[in-house]
Amino acid sequence: MKYIIHQLRIMKEVALVTYKEWSAYRTHSMVSIFVGPVYFIVQYFIWTAVYGGREQLNGMDLTQVIAYFGASTLIGYLTMDFADWNLQMLIHTGRFLTFALRPIHHRFFAFSQKLGHRFLGLIFEFIPCYFIFTLLFGIDITPKHVGWTLLSILLAFLMTFYIHYILGMTAFWFVQSSGIRRVFDLLSGIFSGVFIPLVFFPEGLQKALFFLPFPYMTYVPVMVYTGNFVLAGITMPIPVIVGLQAIAVAVVMLISEIIYRASMRRFNGVGA
Amino acid sequence: MKRIKRYLLIYRECIRVAFASATTYRLNFFLNCIIMLLGDIVFPLITVLIYNSGAGFEGWSVYEVLLIQSIFTMSTALADMTFNGILWATMFAVREGNLEMALILPVDTMFILMARTFSIDAVGLFIGGFTIFTVSCINLPAPGIFMWLKAGALFITGLCVMMGIALFMAATSFKWVGNSRIPEIFESIKGFGKYPNNIFPKTVCIITSYLFPVAMIGYYPAAVLLGKEGSASFIVLIPCLLFLAAGILMYRYMVRLYQGVGG
Repeated sequence: MKYIIHQLRIMKEVALVTYKEWSAYRTHSMVSIFVGPVYFIVQYFIWTAVYGGREQLNGMDLTQVIAYFGASTLIGYLTMDFADWNLQMLIHTGRFLTFALRPIHHRFFAFSQKLGHRFLGLIFEFIPCYFIFTLLFGIDITPKHVGWTLLSILLAFLMTFYIHYILGMTAFWFVQSSGIRRVFDLLSGIFSGVFIPLVFFPEGLQKALFFLPFPYMTYVPVMVYTGNFVLAGITMPIPVIVGLQAIAVAVVMLISEIIYRASMRRFNGVGA
Repeated sequence: MKRIKRYLLIYRECIRVAFASATTYRLNFFLNCIIMLLGDIVFPLITVLIYNSGAGFEGWSVYEVLLIQSIFTMSTALADMTFNGILWATMFAVREGNLEMALILPVDTMFILMARTFSIDAVGLFIGGFTIFTVSCINLPAPGIFMWLKAGALFITGLCVMMGIALFMAATSFKWVGNSRIPEIFESIKGFGKYPNNIFPKTVCIITSYLFPVAMIGYYPAAVLLGKEGSASFIVLIPCLLFLAAGILMYRYMVRLYQGVGG
């Protein structure tokens, strides 16, 4: 119990320091107040034109698609991650050595940093954009199941973090892993459903996506947010898909731990 | 005349340096080409997925929309190769306080920053765009010579708009020091130029044609090539050229204001 309280205290302090540090660059976050709605307007017009007089496309109606892009933008602000960039930079410059010597797991430290950074995102990106979408554009993006939505976003938060941390760890082998990260970012943009709902992909690919981490980062929380999950023609009750998401997160956490241990055996302080 | 010749010689040297650099870091160059190519096929991919689902933009076939997006991609590639680097060069120089190194050179600052950042990394992107363009053209009725000439003129004007955007972004970085998200602001607006104009409301069309003429990058050249826009669309050339002129003036003005506070 004492250990947990101690860890929580560390988490709070690291998150607070990160929050204060990034608050100095708050306009960096506030760019989203412009970019998010503009991106959303473009999507709005595209999909309104695509639907024309149609009721449904691939099981989704226009209101659902509009809410999908609104929710996707908002959830992106809460789950966004750059642990991969940070870790790769630490390994590349040799500064990871100082973390290896500290009485704190670097992954825990990075996670605490993400908490602080995304709290800033909540204040300067999520909340203003939520009000712009609902009050200015009149879009109904109230979560259909608040509890499940929060849980799914939390799982997406963890999934995004662990996946990016694993990507960052590739730097233990390649030192400069920016190419891998860029390729992953691109694939994740396409297959997580940021650009287009996954139901528009060929059915075989949709089935395969169940076994990949991408949909659990954006598509699943967004669909839980909108209250109706469909992929590859399979409609799942919200608790089931959130449970599946939890299993996927647990698997990724396990993989992350295995790779971390292998990384520590390999790490020799190159760059220091 | 002598001045132009000197500038051309400088530009040629910068291109030579870019090629030498790409040859030295071959793997990096190759990876960048592939990533840029993959990155910009996302929009055509979305278009194909939309049309495959049985939907689409009214009055526009899939190849017509792909034509707009391929022209947009080629324009982006050429901009990345020739002048888009000015944003990062300016932002870095202002933040580090070493813009003076460019200011003391006996050449125009804007020119040298563009020339020095010439990059052939976007060649993969251009090839990708050109391939989609060719596939679209094969599947569409062949345009006449005059239409090709008109579309070519509008494509060059679209490049002028791209240059104007790059200069506005670079000028912003003088005041908004170190904000690496400046391009996102302009990129989000450019999103309007990747789709047929008629899917947007009239107000948006006016803005994207006359005020912030991003429609000239992809839409207008494609529409002229398809015969969907007549010679009247040439009136849009004026705001595009004014936009570029405003970008140049703005950048020069910001250079004059620069006080070397970084570092």
